[in-house]
Amino acid sequence: MTGRSANIAAFANRELGLDDVRAYLEAPVSDDEREQTIALIQWFTRRYRTPLERLAYVRRAYARWRLNALLTRR
Amino acid sequence: MQAGEFDELAFFRAIQDAGARALLIGRRALVLLGLPVLTADYDFWIAIENIAIFNDAAAKCDLQPTMEPDAARRRGRYVLEHAEHVDVLVARSMTPVDGIDVAFETIWPRRRTIALTPETELHIPHLDDLILTKRFAARPKDLEDVRLLTILKSESNT
Repeated sequence: MTGRSANIAAFANRELGLDDVRAYLEAPVSDDEREQTIALIQWFTRRYRTPLERLAYVRRAYARWRLNALLTRR
Repeated sequence: MQAGEFDELAFFRAIQDAGARALLIGRRALVLLGLPVLTADYDFWIAIENIAIFNDAAAKCDLQPTMEPDAARRRGRYVLEHAEHVDVLVARSMTPVDGIDVAFETIWPRRRTIALTPETELHIPHLDDLILTKRFAARPKDLEDVRLLTILKSESNT
């Protein structure tokens, strides 16, 4: 993991306090957020129709991400 | 073995054949439900009495536990590692950061079974329970996943 990606991972994995958690979860879902998420789900489930295909897609996506991280480090 | 050579389906089949009560949680469960999120690891919540048979199944895929079953029971979680990284939760119950206890024995009967092939199935928690498991850790990425699952749930209900 590069320094930059390590920093991003650390940021995403930090533990929040209860007030922050509540603020996160109680923030209403906007129409835009809902529409984008539904569009993403529809694309993914149409493109990869079976659970097995979805799992395979994620393995490929992670392998690409890891390769890019390695190339960036060099 | 390189990470790319890991036979994921064989791993799931070995768990099934072992008869382990194991729930796939974490982001791979979201992926199965149709959410394209990136993840490196596998996350399972298993029955506390199934550590040995779960480990035996994982060993068929060259995954080794980082600690003995007794130590895993005391700690409530452990890791299987080699070509892949598998986080295994073995606690009888967990407490979401903002809620009440969630017991494995409570969510196991409500599980959803997903057929990967005609011969291979795996289990994930009911959508409501998967949302609860995402509240165990108060990490931003888990809370983002809660929002995604909540939208998915609202769509499922319409």
